[in-house]
Amino acid sequence: MVNLFNDYAPLIISMILGALLGISLYLPLMTGQLSLASPGFYAVGGYVAAIFSTKIFPTSGLYPWYLLLLEMMVAALISTLLGLVVGIPVLRLRGIYLAIATIAFVEVLRIFSLNLEITGGAVGIFGIPQPFNNTLEYLWVVLPLLIISSIILYRLENIRVGKAFIAIREDELAAEAMGINPTHYKVLAFTLGAILAGVSGVIAAHFLNTWNARQGTFDASIIYLTSVLIGGTRTFVGPILGGMMFTALPEILRSLANIPNLPLWLVGFFKDGRLIIFGVLIVIGTLFFPQGLVTPDLFNNFSKLMRIGLNKVRLKKI
Amino acid sequence: MMNSVIKETDNQPMLEVKQITRRFGGLVAVNEVSFDVHNQEIFGLIGPNGAGKTTLFNLITGLIEPSSGQIFAQAQLISHLKPHQIAAKGIARTFQNIRLFGELSALENVIVGRHLHTKSNFVTGILGLPQANQAEKQAKQKAKELIELVGLGDRLLEKAKNLSYGDQRRLEIARALALEPSILLLDEPAAGMNPNEKQVLSTFIRDLRSQFNLTIILIEHHVPLVMGLCDRIAVLNFGKLIALGQPEIVRNDPAVIEAYLGVD
Amino acid sequence: MMDISLLLQNFLNGLSIGSIYAIFSLGYTLIFSILGIINFAHGALFTLGAYFTYALMGEAFGFNGLLANLQLPLKLPFFLALLISSMLVGFVGVAIEYIAFRPLRKRKADPLLTVVSSLGVALIIVNLIQYLVGAESYTFPSNTYENLPAAINFGSADKPIPIRTVQIVIFAVCTSILSLLTYAINFSRFGKAMRAVAEDQVTANLLGINTNLFIVSTFFISSFLAGLAGTLVGSSVSISGPYLGITFGLKGLAVIVLGGLGSIPGAVLGGLIIGITEAFVPADYSAYKDAVAFSILLIMLLIKPEGLLGRRFIQKV
Repeated sequence: MVNLFNDYAPLIISMILGALLGISLYLPLMTGQLSLASPGFYAVGGYVAAIFSTKIFPTSGLYPWYLLLLEMMVAALISTLLGLVVGIPVLRLRGIYLAIATIAFVEVLRIFSLNLEITGGAVGIFGIPQPFNNTLEYLWVVLPLLIISSIILYRLENIRVGKAFIAIREDELAAEAMGINPTHYKVLAFTLGAILAGVSGVIAAHFLNTWNARQGTFDASIIYLTSVLIGGTRTFVGPILGGMMFTALPEILRSLANIPNLPLWLVGFFKDGRLIIFGVLIVIGTLFFPQGLVTPDLFNNFSKLMRIGLNKVRLKKI
Repeated sequence: MMNSVIKETDNQPMLEVKQITRRFGGLVAVNEVSFDVHNQEIFGLIGPNGAGKTTLFNLITGLIEPSSGQIFAQAQLISHLKPHQIAAKGIARTFQNIRLFGELSALENVIVGRHLHTKSNFVTGILGLPQANQAEKQAKQKAKELIELVGLGDRLLEKAKNLSYGDQRRLEIARALALEPSILLLDEPAAGMNPNEKQVLSTFIRDLRSQFNLTIILIEHHVPLVMGLCDRIAVLNFGKLIALGQPEIVRNDPAVIEAYLGVD
Repeated sequence: MMDISLLLQNFLNGLSIGSIYAIFSLGYTLIFSILGIINFAHGALFTLGAYFTYALMGEAFGFNGLLANLQLPLKLPFFLALLISSMLVGFVGVAIEYIAFRPLRKRKADPLLTVVSSLGVALIIVNLIQYLVGAESYTFPSNTYENLPAAINFGSADKPIPIRTVQIVIFAVCTSILSLLTYAINFSRFGKAMRAVAEDQVTANLLGINTNLFIVSTFFISSFLAGLAGTLVGSSVSISGPYLGITFGLKGLAVIVLGGLGSIPGAVLGGLIIGITEAFVPADYSAYKDAVAFSILLIMLLIKPEGLLGRRFIQKV
């Protein structure tokens, strides 16, 4: 039994990391902001870990846990600063403009990381030391992180700040008329998401042993966005489940491919066509589960804010 | 923030609108409008469709910027402020098209209105520190009282989008009151109501004024309601102020009659 | 001290790549103007066009993928293949509209959902290509533009400024399309109706305009243009793989935001500006070329989100 657990340990850790990234996307979503910036902060966090552990404190044996914590704090700090610097100007935009701006931000980061020496260029950084003897021990880090994030999100929905988030998502104009400063709260939500993504990146870098520009890409944004959208946008449980599910999906498909006596093309499809399945799931998801699977509901209303960014000039009064 | 809330003093108008103009491209929606609103006055704003009334409200509450002119609340310049700053000065409003937070319950809608008066931030709130918890509890209590005041006590937990139209209007007023405003702007509060309901609303608004010492400005289409309720009325047509004064005077003003010709 | 001929060379190169950006972005912005969405599948259609033309010219695909070594028993001349392939892509675009977008519109779902759906479609198309014919790169046969000289010299004999003919073709195609579209949209009845639909679908419907027909036509034209652009890139450079269109798709965003979402001349202007700016990136920093477009995009969004020629969106309250 323990062996089974050990075999699945990498998958479990990946799934929890996926859930964390889902949450990091969910936070700005609570204020109605469609931000695809999380993978960018995730990448930055990973590079922090990679650079620290291979260049600043190179270690041949087990990487000390206090250095890991240091990396997480540094990544949190950098994510905060970067989140503020990027967030404050960018969050003035609405709807699709905001989404595009965050895509551009991630792309610029990716291009820089591809070309700078310190990030190892296209090859990236490899040989990142492990802080643990076996994979399962990563749970010591990721599980508390997940639990703390969940508690925070759960509490958030019941307190003033969280209600302000939701009010902004429901109707930003009305929220403003009630004395809520939208920029303040949008930036707060954005930065919180950035911090979570950055810290997750630190852990992921050690977990994966290498880190390169492919870790923070537009594709990654799409995958996490999908997991949040399909998982459910109304509560924080949705992105957690969605993130886990979509991380597990490739593995599920791989095991499906090993079912005996399948026609060859189907086997190949399960092996290589998982992105096709992804795409199909996205299209079907939007057609039949517009509010996601977990607690349908809010999505349409939240999108009203999105629509503001897409509306044309109308000079008639309503 | 709360220190600069406007307070009543007898000699100062609560709101001064000075030569306010707003253009949208070639269209002049509000054209050099000026008027004062006195302390605890019920002030009516009427005019045909497209006259610029809601635009004027939007200018007062900071949703849009004036092309020229100024607005003062209790001698403080507010025309350059953002909506949430103006709300902090004690100016609350309802919307012509009801902008409630549909997915939130009635209670939660009004709790959001208590935002400025609740002492709880991200850290203290998440940690559940005593003063934050206390603040949240108080906000909930106050919200409950306001909901009961507008007669929605039995539908506290109903989602705002599921309430009837009339109930939604009442909820919006409760939410606006949650701000503890000095000035309340009501945009067509009687829209969609039958004559009975309008009468009840009229009494209700008067009660609000005395109970909360409010200065109330309302946009309204239904002329008899306005005539019976308001202390003074301003009439807009094509963005211009064409009459201002007590109801009987305004009613007999030839310019006003002409503007409304053919309209109820 | 920059050499005039080098300057000119860069400029003309920029004009050429800018034209491709423009053609690609024209379709992008057309969809936005009529439906208010960013169709992320556009980039995938771009790629599809290149592959279709390649196949129609009778070229062979590699040994990867389900349809390994596929080679059609056709050998169409380039311009014919270009035309047919672009039309095929046009039809694919219409199919996408019917299958993925129309049901959402019927349900009055939020435009955001359609955008997400288009992402899904893009994923499907691109990965389907990879699954079927593998991920290698392909080059068009060298006699593609057989009747034209390889390059035309814009300079003098001792200071030559050779511009590949194919680049001139691309620029010419771009200008003709732009003129055609501008004429059609501004002066023809069809175009007027299309603008009405873009402005206000409900009213257009009430006026008896068959909005669905116009939406379908827009998708066809837009996808046609995407396929066309894809073929032009594929034939003039190479098909680098199924992900060819993705970078273009992202850069296309920069182009249309720069030019103004929904503006046709804006798409062309934006495309040319970005193309030319990229061409002037010094060779040492060529890796950062891609960052140019995105930086311009970010700056634009922060200063003037409606773009150079776009209309300012005024919120209604």
